[in-house]
Amino acid sequence: MMKALKLILGIFAILCFQSCTKPVDFDQIDDAEIKANYIVTQAYFDLVASDFLTEFGMEIPLQTDVIQAQISGSSQKYIEKIEFTIVTQNSFDRAFNVQIVLFDVAQKPIYTFNPTIHIPANSGEITTTIEIPKEDISVVFNTEYFSFFVQLIPSTDGSSISPDDDSTLNLKSYVELFLNYKTA
Amino acid sequence: MKNLAFTVFLIFSIGNAQNKQILYDFAGLPQTLLVNPGAEISNKFYVGFPLFSQVAVQGGFTGFSAYDIFADDGVNINTKISVAIQGFGKSEFTELNQQLEVLSGGFQLNEKMYLSFGYYQEATVLAKIPRDVIDLLYEGNSDINRQYSIEKLSARAELLGVFHVGISKKINEKWQIGARGKLYSSALNINSKQSTGSLATTFGTNNIYKQQLENIDFLLQTSGVFFEDTDVLTPAYYVKKMLLGGNLGLGIDLGFTHHFKKQWTVSGSAIDLGFIYNTQDVKSYSLKGDFEVDGFDLNFDNQDPADYWNDLEDRFNEEVVLDTITSKYISTRPLKLNAAVNYAFGKKLDNCRFDTRLGLYSNKVGVQLFSNVGSVHTYLAATLFFERWFSKNLQAKITYTADPYSFKNLGAGISTQLGPVNLYLLADNLLNLNNLYAAKSANIQVGLNFIFYDKY
Repeated sequence: MMKALKLILGIFAILCFQSCTKPVDFDQIDDAEIKANYIVTQAYFDLVASDFLTEFGMEIPLQTDVIQAQISGSSQKYIEKIEFTIVTQNSFDRAFNVQIVLFDVAQKPIYTFNPTIHIPANSGEITTTIEIPKEDISVVFNTEYFSFFVQLIPSTDGSSISPDDDSTLNLKSYVELFLNYKTA
Repeated sequence: MKNLAFTVFLIFSIGNAQNKQILYDFAGLPQTLLVNPGAEISNKFYVGFPLFSQVAVQGGFTGFSAYDIFADDGVNINTKISVAIQGFGKSEFTELNQQLEVLSGGFQLNEKMYLSFGYYQEATVLAKIPRDVIDLLYEGNSDINRQYSIEKLSARAELLGVFHVGISKKINEKWQIGARGKLYSSALNINSKQSTGSLATTFGTNNIYKQQLENIDFLLQTSGVFFEDTDVLTPAYYVKKMLLGGNLGLGIDLGFTHHFKKQWTVSGSAIDLGFIYNTQDVKSYSLKGDFEVDGFDLNFDNQDPADYWNDLEDRFNEEVVLDTITSKYISTRPLKLNAAVNYAFGKKLDNCRFDTRLGLYSNKVGVQLFSNVGSVHTYLAATLFFERWFSKNLQAKITYTADPYSFKNLGAGISTQLGPVNLYLLADNLLNLNNLYAAKSANIQVGLNFIFYDKY
């Protein structure tokens, strides 16, 4: 029995002396980063002739609409880049400019998307990508109002949009957030 | 950060989902009755050393090991994380289980019946993580048209005390049966009962993309987790809850041993066939619904400006309903099933050396199967084992187990008896002893008993 006990204890001793760990470095966690892209669908519209005319048939040179949004700032520090992608189509004989301006809670403009989106007359699908660089991202998180300005560019020949015009101005958009989670 | 890394390592490297493959039917240890109440026990009586008759820690993570991520090998950690994520299965699970036997004892009622009883404390954390959730966190949702399913996302956590008393009865020379009644006293329970649904970004019609939550149905039941006044959460509070002051439940273990041929034995058990009725400090959450959004449809109506954001929020809250429920609920205990067949052989033991112990042969070889059946995760493990009785004072067992953590899990156990003092030590994943960080799971049980036989 003692021989067996010695044998077993010997095996356990060998295992214990052998039991060890290959080198690991837990400080590597400070270099870890996870890069993920999230797509969030955004505003869209389909505007027709009546949207650019008053009840008296006069052209409305500037249309505006506002989205009041409370944006959570919890993930702000992980966002490296924000990209707005806007796709437009225009069957009017008139050109448009679309500008997106951000306002703070005091309704003071704090950021204007650059460039202004120019939509030529009778244009097919045009994709415009607007990047908000990292240094401007904090501004976005102070935003209370997203304002969309649609400017009808005056015609060169002085003509106006007809109420019977069945043309449309179409805009679609989404935003892509580029996140980089870092542990350090 | 180092602490975080070490915590991750601990979670990833300890344990093995409550499979006690080494303890099962080993050396006539009294604790084998906790994994098979129909096991054969030959002692006259025993008393477990308080708080040390069984200390068991098991756990693991099926996805990857700490070494896979933190190896000091010159490879960038982000490359290693990427490789680990690529190797992630359709779903992986992690579990940490700890048991501490506080009191334990047993004695022969007569020649055919053995009574055992005790109290142990148990804590378990188990989570099943689907690949889709990992991909959503690691890559984002830019994979258009992909359905990110939460169907396999589930978790369970509990902290409880278990009072138990069991009878093992010898029917005849071939049959031994047993049962153990259990009274559970739960201090904490978290249980995600069902989860269905998916999240997707698809090509839209009105807008470029449309985002959908489809068929979301998620229920998280908790008791003893959410409190308005957290000052009550002292160690004394948890001790009281685990000593009949918590949510109570009942359970039963059943087992048998059958010698169907002279050298062949088959045995089996069902452990924790029971439930807990959660009545105290209950707070559950149910989330149900479908939701689809293609963005804000701007109408440029200055006469009647729309409140786009709040309208969207209201529609979301109407269509995806979050309910807080405080009604009582029943949580079932995860059922553990064991089955084994073994062949005894070798030197037939004489009464001189084994006069007070079971078994006519010095060796046993066999196969064991284990299954953990639970609402969160069900799995099967298979074990080949060899057990050797060197004498009545020294037994050893070697196991080779294939389970979801590894197909090459080598375990070993020894049990020694010096006078009435019995000490046992069981551990697995010995093949990873040369690099503990590479183990995806580990399982350690140690205990001290005072076992008395009819004569020495």
